Amino acid sequence: MSSTSNVPAAATTGAGDTELAGVAAVEAGRSGRVPGWFVILWRNGKCRLGLVMLAGFVVVAVAAPLVTPYGPRVDDFGLSEGPSAAHWLGTTARGQDVFSQLVYGARTSLIVGIVAGVLSTVIALVIGLTAGYLQGVVDEVLSFLINLGLVVPVLPLMITLSAYAPVKGLGLVIIVIAVTGWAFGARIKRAQIITLRTRDYVTAAKFSGDGTMRIIFYEIAPNMTSLIVVGFMGSALGAIGAEAGLSFLGLGDPQTISWGTMLNQASAGGALLTGQWAWLVAPGVVLAGLITSFTLINFGVDALSNPHLRED
Amino acid sequence: MALLEVTDLSVTYSPRDSAQVRAVDGVTFSVEEGEFVGLLGESGCGKSTLGNAVLRLLEKPAAISGGRIVFDGRDITEASEDELRPLRWVDLSTVFQSSMNSLNPVITVREQFADCFAAHEEAAGRGLDVDERAGELLEMVSLPRDVLRRYPHELSGGMKQRVALALALALRPKFVLLDEPTTGLDVVVQREILDRLAELREELGFAVLFISHDLGTVVEMADRVLVMYGGELVEDQPADAIVHDHLHPYTAGLMGSYADPRDEHVEVAFIPGRPPDLSRSHEGCLFAPRCPVAVDACESEHPELLPAGRGEARCLLVEWAVADGVPARKAAPVDQLDAVFAADASPRGAADGEPVLVVDGAGKTYKVRRGGKSTSVRAVHDVSFALRPGRVTALVGQSGSGKTTIARMITGVERPSDGTVRFGSTDVGSLGRRALRGYRRHVQLVFQDPFSALNPTRTVAYAISRPLRNHLGLGKQDARARAGELLETVGLSPAAQYLDKLPHQLSGGQRQRVVIARALASEPEVLVADEPISMLDVSIRAEIVALLDRLVRERGIAMLYITHDLLSARLLADEVMVLNQGEMVEHGPTMEVIREARDPYTRKLLAAIPHPGAPRPGGAQTAGPAEVATPALP
Amino acid sequence: MGYFLRRTGFFVATLWAAVTLNFLIPRLQPGDPAEAIVSRLTGKSEAVDPRQVEAIRRLLGTPDGSLLTQYWDYLGELVHGNFGLSYTYFPYTVTEVIGDAALWTVVLVGVTQILSFVIGTLLGAWAAYRRNSRVDSVITLGSTFVGTLPFFWIALLLIYVFAITLQWFPDGGGYGGGSTPGWSWLFFSDAFQHSVLPALSLLITGPIGWIIGMRNNMVQELGQDYARLARAKGLPQRRIALTYGARIAILPNVTGFAIALGSILGGTVLVETIFNYPGLGRLLLESVSNKDFPLMQALFLFTTIGVLVANFVADLLYGVLDPRVRRTEAA
Repeated sequence: MSSTSNVPAAATTGAGDTELAGVAAVEAGRSGRVPGWFVILWRNGKCRLGLVMLAGFVVVAVAAPLVTPYGPRVDDFGLSEGPSAAHWLGTTARGQDVFSQLVYGARTSLIVGIVAGVLSTVIALVIGLTAGYLQGVVDEVLSFLINLGLVVPVLPLMITLSAYAPVKGLGLVIIVIAVTGWAFGARIKRAQIITLRTRDYVTAAKFSGDGTMRIIFYEIAPNMTSLIVVGFMGSALGAIGAEAGLSFLGLGDPQTISWGTMLNQASAGGALLTGQWAWLVAPGVVLAGLITSFTLINFGVDALSNPHLRED
Repeated sequence: MALLEVTDLSVTYSPRDSAQVRAVDGVTFSVEEGEFVGLLGESGCGKSTLGNAVLRLLEKPAAISGGRIVFDGRDITEASEDELRPLRWVDLSTVFQSSMNSLNPVITVREQFADCFAAHEEAAGRGLDVDERAGELLEMVSLPRDVLRRYPHELSGGMKQRVALALALALRPKFVLLDEPTTGLDVVVQREILDRLAELREELGFAVLFISHDLGTVVEMADRVLVMYGGELVEDQPADAIVHDHLHPYTAGLMGSYADPRDEHVEVAFIPGRPPDLSRSHEGCLFAPRCPVAVDACESEHPELLPAGRGEARCLLVEWAVADGVPARKAAPVDQLDAVFAADASPRGAADGEPVLVVDGAGKTYKVRRGGKSTSVRAVHDVSFALRPGRVTALVGQSGSGKTTIARMITGVERPSDGTVRFGSTDVGSLGRRALRGYRRHVQLVFQDPFSALNPTRTVAYAISRPLRNHLGLGKQDARARAGELLETVGLSPAAQYLDKLPHQLSGGQRQRVVIARALASEPEVLVADEPISMLDVSIRAEIVALLDRLVRERGIAMLYITHDLLSARLLADEVMVLNQGEMVEHGPTMEVIREARDPYTRKLLAAIPHPGAPRPGGAQTAGPAEVATPALP
Repeated sequence: MGYFLRRTGFFVATLWAAVTLNFLIPRLQPGDPAEAIVSRLTGKSEAVDPRQVEAIRRLLGTPDGSLLTQYWDYLGELVHGNFGLSYTYFPYTVTEVIGDAALWTVVLVGVTQILSFVIGTLLGAWAAYRRNSRVDSVITLGSTFVGTLPFFWIALLLIYVFAITLQWFPDGGGYGGGSTPGWSWLFFSDAFQHSVLPALSLLITGPIGWIIGMRNNMVQELGQDYARLARAKGLPQRRIALTYGARIAILPNVTGFAIALGSILGGTVLVETIFNYPGLGRLLLESVSNKDFPLMQALFLFTTIGVLVANFVADLLYGVLDPRVRRTEAA
């Protein structure tokens, strides 16, 4: 970083931690059939823990019918019961099994996280790359859009949008989250491509006769992998939190079982008063667990961009 | 007793997730009161780390792992930050390498002076008038007083470096460490700052440890020179001895890379190979793999830094010679350096051959819009020249002189606003996007920075095969085979060993060879080389110059060689053009322009070239006769 | 002063964009928006209050006019500060309803935001000053962990523990039944009691962003060459940490803080809903569930304008604090 680090003799890659990440990924990927970025993530202890946790959530979500003793909507049990052998986390005020709901809720969070995360990453990528690579008037207009997206308050916008929407449903929640959450990623990607597009190797590719699309996808994109991964993780994390918040406020899809809806019902159904701590605590704990797994993976993504991975 | 005594000092980098690196290994030297010591070495040799260790400024993961630093009789190796503070700046000050970034960006220059006066009230004198004293200091480095009110970002690079120098002298220290203080500045500005520094030292009498990779400057400025290689000192001699009686083969190689472009006969040497990997332990001499005179024992026996000549050297051959009572100079046959490149050595294309590319009255004016007002900036004005097969035309000028704009017009990146650029019968300025792509088959670029010119995520084979596939229409297999041949052509042999490497696995010199191979791939008629050696280590520069020279001769390429360095222009070019503020101020055969420069700017450039052994601006040392300014090579 | 001009331009442009967005959102749905809303209300098998229909018409302007005329009318109403009547709080105007709620929010959230910023910046600076020490890891890891906990869940637990189990504080509301709003000691102490838990929940999560931001910025600044030179100059540790570290590291946070203050209006939906606190956030949610569109539109607009103004102020402040941006932006 500073001039103290001139050992071992090294390159000066100004913008370039994402470039290093690209290198590291390409390098690690050569050793086997596993994708390179995964090898690097797996080498990092914290990140491995995060990946294992996330895998756990995914397995449970996929295998929900096998894991749960009852259907999530079956409501013929005693009302507002505390934890027991039959109902590990008790029952809801409507007589549903809390544990079963918890397991099915993982599906909602993961779907929202992945789909909304991918959507907003794609929007950010398209807008950021176009603005950064084309520059000129297009950039001015898109940059204004990005800045606007950054300053408009997200939660009120989400609430307003979902209030006007003619249909309620998980799809709507996902779209609202994606539409309100892309700006930050777009700004970072735009800045990065502006740095990368002035690299000599981009000029060299032009002189080698490569076209614009080939340059963007073969020369520039591989050097942005870690940025895109980090951007996706951030968006997915934000989406999971936003879904929980919206559902908790009762603005989500009432038909979908999610941890946010569960907390909403627990709060409305008097879990606070009847002392059903399990109904109240469990959704929060799993939500925190899922967010933690993402945070831990992000540590690994940081390691992906760590200059120490570079060999001389 | 010396002012600064460093004994057996080692510094180790222990990064969390990679191998330990012994950046500085058992270094012993001293600096006397008022002495000017140069520390010479290439990037990665540990010289800056040593400087930081001496100032006790190392930060994790670097730490002193052995040895002692004694300053003015006090052992400061283990001293705590609190114990060091009264010493800092009052006795020991510094100017850092990156002048651009060594001033606090959010406070004014005045405040940067004020805070060091405040921290050292005693040394500064109580009740000191900050404006008066700081103003004096600025005037001392030839800056106006009103610079005090400015913020760092309002100053040019040269001004910032002058401020940094004034700041370093603010408390009249006994010792100043200068770490590459002028790197990155324009040559003429560099010269001015160094001259001022020499005068100030004369006046104020502080001792200096001057760290640099620039041999010419170090040898010219210093009383004594330390040469560092692979974390060790390999030679320690008075400056004139370094010029005339150096002992270590590495020093010989470095000296060989310098020559005076005005001489009748100019040749330079280079040291093939790359520096050792310090994360591994080495049994023998660290320099042995690159040493032209190494013997078997050098591979297995690690030499010690022992008295030899008028100082010390670390070389078995020298050691044996001293033991045998033979004069050391003869023992290390430095004249055996076989990697030598001489100017004008071989015939070139004809001076009156048919030109491939003609620039005729070309000019470029940029429109700059600022706050609604539009002004035009003339980057290049009425420039004419021709490039001929098998000949090299050098374009010399400082940054901002319009060199790059000319290169951009020739390669079709920019259209000239006046005049024309013609390639054969094609008017380059009128080419559309598609035609331009075809044109680039004929005109290729060699970049300045080999680290940025290759995509870090793409292999060597990929980089070279792109122009082969696009411009020559080769298939995948053919392109790979052809890429291998090109690598052999540029001296990367065996090619199979390099094809699948990623750029970061190659040294700077190897990367630059790959860049050149890529530029050759489409078999261009014209090659534009934009400062292709300025980012490389001194010891390998001549190697790349020699490669370019060979390619021009063998392939009959017409080359435009852009540079600010008159020595490489002298070595490579048949004719030289000097550009100043967008206008061509001088144009003619290389020898004529360099030896009989008429334009004041060309003369300034010539004057900025260091003259090791010549009388110095401060006039402190009687130097050797001027005619031995260049090292004697066969 | 190109920088300030540019920022003002951006402010005006975003303001216009926000106002237009506010106009467009209700019209994004297919068909005549007023009809759609009315039919949705009637579809809920409740008797539609004619006042609601009237309010909707007012909000949306003449439905048969062209979009441009509607837009023109809409701008005209805005300029006169006329946001229409709220039909949940009929006959109060939207402006009056918002004015009442705003005070509660501004006091609660304003105070906690300022405290969060101060606490977060101090802790972050402390962690950076003692970087790689135990203090640093406790602060960094602690805040990372707390940061993963969902905010509203923390709030629910606080109610569960302090209001229901221990009964130290009331479980919600802005003031108790025993006191009426007014300038009395009784009322203030009651309101304070009610604000403790919401404030606490905001203060647990509030400083985290500032801590991490400040620490990372400052560690980076202290690694810069000018900080190293400051050490070589022999400046006292504190002076280096303040002038060469914190002074520069805090700059990005200042912008963030202004925006946070601006988003007071919108960022409190969760806390106010959980604690049943009579502020703007709860009002927004209430207007959504009551289909009180005039109120909702106005709240969204106010919130956005609040953020924009704060952002503008932050930009101006930044220009004053950081001498570098004035130049670089203009160039």
